[in-house]
Amino acid sequence: MTFDPRTKLLLSVFYVILVVFSYELLPLIFEWVFILFLVLIAGKTKEYLRWFKAVALMAIFFSALVWWSSDGKSAFIAGFKLVNIASVFFAFFTSTSPEDLGNTLVKAGMPYPVAFVMSVSLQFVPVMARKAGNVLDAQRSRGIPIGQGLKAIRYFHVLLIPVFIQSIRLAEELAEAMESRGFGRPGRTFLKDYKMRAADWIAVFAGLLLLAAFFLLRQC
Amino acid sequence: MHYSHTIKISSLKYSYRKETASPVLNGINLIAGENEYILLCGASGSGKSTLCRTLNGLIPHFYGGSIEGYVRIAGVVTTIRTVGDMLELVGMVFQNPEAQLFCSTAAHEIAFGLESLGLAPSEIKSRVTRAAEKLSIEDLLYRNPHTLSDGEKQLVAIAAATALSPKLIVLDEPYANLDPSNVQRVRCALKEIRNQGVCIVIAEHRLHYTLPDVDRVTVIHDGCIVIDSPPALLLPHHVKEYGLEFPLYEPWEDKIEISAPPPIAEMVLSAENIFFSKNGSPLLKDISFTLRKGECVAFLGANGAGKTTLLKHINGLYRPDKGKITLMGFDTSQKKIPELARYAGIAFQNPDNQFFRLNVLEEISAGAVALNCYDEKWIKKLIDLFNLEKLLKRAPYRLSGGEKKRVAFASALASKPAVLALDEPTAGQDARFRHSLSAFLSELAINGVSIILATHDILFAKQNAHRFLLMSKGKIISEGTPGKVISDKTAMRLAGLLPAERMKDDV
Repeated sequence: MTFDPRTKLLLSVFYVILVVFSYELLPLIFEWVFILFLVLIAGKTKEYLRWFKAVALMAIFFSALVWWSSDGKSAFIAGFKLVNIASVFFAFFTSTSPEDLGNTLVKAGMPYPVAFVMSVSLQFVPVMARKAGNVLDAQRSRGIPIGQGLKAIRYFHVLLIPVFIQSIRLAEELAEAMESRGFGRPGRTFLKDYKMRAADWIAVFAGLLLLAAFFLLRQC
Repeated sequence: MHYSHTIKISSLKYSYRKETASPVLNGINLIAGENEYILLCGASGSGKSTLCRTLNGLIPHFYGGSIEGYVRIAGVVTTIRTVGDMLELVGMVFQNPEAQLFCSTAAHEIAFGLESLGLAPSEIKSRVTRAAEKLSIEDLLYRNPHTLSDGEKQLVAIAAATALSPKLIVLDEPYANLDPSNVQRVRCALKEIRNQGVCIVIAEHRLHYTLPDVDRVTVIHDGCIVIDSPPALLLPHHVKEYGLEFPLYEPWEDKIEISAPPPIAEMVLSAENIFFSKNGSPLLKDISFTLRKGECVAFLGANGAGKTTLLKHINGLYRPDKGKITLMGFDTSQKKIPELARYAGIAFQNPDNQFFRLNVLEEISAGAVALNCYDEKWIKKLIDLFNLEKLLKRAPYRLSGGEKKRVAFASALASKPAVLALDEPTAGQDARFRHSLSAFLSELAINGVSIILATHDILFAKQNAHRFLLMSKGKIISEGTPGKVISDKTAMRLAGLLPAERMKDDV
C-alpha cells in the first residue's frame, strides 16, 4: 500500500518542521534513524548511500563552518539538520513520481501548466547534464582546454553557449510535441485517480499529533 | 462525421514569415484515403517537414506565418480548429526521440494524449495497455523514457499516437537516429498499424527502408509535389534530378568494392587489447586495431555497441583500464588531451555541441588557434575542400543540418591532424550530402589523412571504407574487407545490423 502523494508531501513538511525546531543532538539522531528505517524497508539502501555521499560532504563543510564560528555542539546539530532534511527530500522524491506530485497539486488547486513545468524540469535535469558532458567532449576534442585549472574560466563560454542554445531548441521541440499531444486542451483527466483514503487521513492525523506532542513536551 | 478522404489538401501555399518572397510550400494538392501508406521524400529543405506540420495544424497555429488553400483531415479543416482539437484525428511522431518524450514513465507518456481527451482513468489504463501490446512494448511501460534506446523511444512515441486511434499518423524522419535493427522494429509496427486501416504519412531520407513498405511515393521539390506514383512504377532516373536515389532493397549486397587498400603505409594509430568500463559496466572488451596512413576504417555496429566510447579513447577523453593506444608513435597515456587533439580530430554526431563563435570562419579555426597551430593555407584548403566559401560570414547555428556537419568536419581537421574520426556522419542526411561526403573523404585520403568512420550506415561504410571492424556489445566480432564482413551473416545479425530471421519473414 502506498500513501497519496499529498499525504507524503504533508508528512515531509511536518518532518522538516520537526527538524528545524530540534535543538538537541539526541532527537536529531532519532529523526535520522527514523528515515533510515523507512529507506531500509523500502529497499532503497543503495540509492540512499549514493545520495548520502554527496550530502555528507556538504554537511561536513557546513559543520566545519559552524564550528569555526561557534562551538562543536552547534556544529554537530547543524550538520545533522542538513542530513535529515536532505534525507527526507530523498525519501519523498524516490517514493513519488514527478507526475504524481504535479497531478495532486493540480487537484489541490495549482494551475496545470505550473505543475507540469515543475515535473518536466525534474525530468530533464539528467538530459541536460548529459548534453553538457557531450559539449565538453566535443570542445576538448578540438583542443580547447576547457575544464583544466584557471584556464577553464577563460573558456567557460565555450561550454555555456552550446548548452544554452541547445536547451532553447530542445524547449521548442518539446513544446511542439506537447502541443501535438493535446497539452492545454481543456478538460484534462489523469491516468491515476488520486484519492485520500482512510489510511492517508490517519497518517496525516498521527503526524499532526506527534508534532503537537513534540512542541508540548518542549514547553515542559 | 461523414467524409470521403482522410487527407485532402487543396492548393496549399505556406511561408513561415509573412514577408518572405518564396513560400516553403507552393501549391500542394494531395488526396489520400484510409489505409494508404505514403512516403514523402525530397532533398533537405524541400518542404517535407513543413508539409508534415500542416497535417495536424501545428502550421499555422504553432508556427504562425501565412497560409493559403486548405488542409482537410477526415473532413475537418485544420485552420479553423486548434492543434488540440486534431488530437483524435492525427498522431504526430517527430524526428528527435529525445525531445518528444517528457513524462517519467512510458505508461504516462502513452497516457498523456488520452488524459488530454479527458477520458476516465479506467479507460485510459486499458487503452495504454492495448497500445503497448500492439507494439510489443509492454516491458517498457514502467521504464523512464530517457533510459530507453532511441528505437524504443520512437516506439513509445508511436504508441502514444496510436493509443488515440487516429485516422492518420504522420512521422517526420522517424528512422534518422535509429540503427538497422531498431528501424526494423519500427517498420513492422507501422505495417501492423496500416493494416488496421490507419493512413500513414512518413517523411524519410532512407529510401531503402521505406520503399518496400509504402503504397505511394510523393516527391517534393521546392515546395511542390513533382512526382506522385506507386513505388513499382518509379525508376531511379525519374528522381535523380530531385537529389534522391532509389537503391536496391539491400544495396550493400552488391559486389562493387572501393579501390583496394593502400599499399603498406606507415602506421598512424594502433590499439592493443583495450578494456574499458564505466560505472561498473564493461563497455569495451579486448579491442585491438590498426590504422595506416591514408586508410579508411569503419567501426560498424548498432547503437550502444561501443563505437563512440572507442573513438573517445583516441584522443584521451577516455583512458583505457587496460591496454595501450599508440598515436603517431606516442603512447597516448603519456599525453594530455590537447596534445593528442593535434594529431587526431574527432567530429561527433551533433555539430551543435561545439559551435560558440559568431561566424563559420572563426568556428573552423577556433581549435587550431587554441592549439597554437593555426596555418592559414591549410584552413583555406579546408574551406575549399568542404565548399564553405559562401558560408564563412554566417552564424554557425543558422546553417542547415548538412552545412553544420561540413563546418564540424572542417573544424575537426583545422589542426591538420593525421587521423580524422567521424561519428555517425550520415545520420539524417540526404543523398546529396552523402555524395559530397564521399568525395571529401577520398580527397582527404589522397592528402594522407587516415579516417575512422563510426557508423551503423552499412551502405555508406561500404562505399568509403577499406576495412570494417564489426562491433557488438563492446567487442570486435568480425573484421576484414567490407565484402568479407558483410557476407558474415551470423556476425552481422549478432551486431543487430541485419534483421533477425523472424523479422525478415514479416518484411
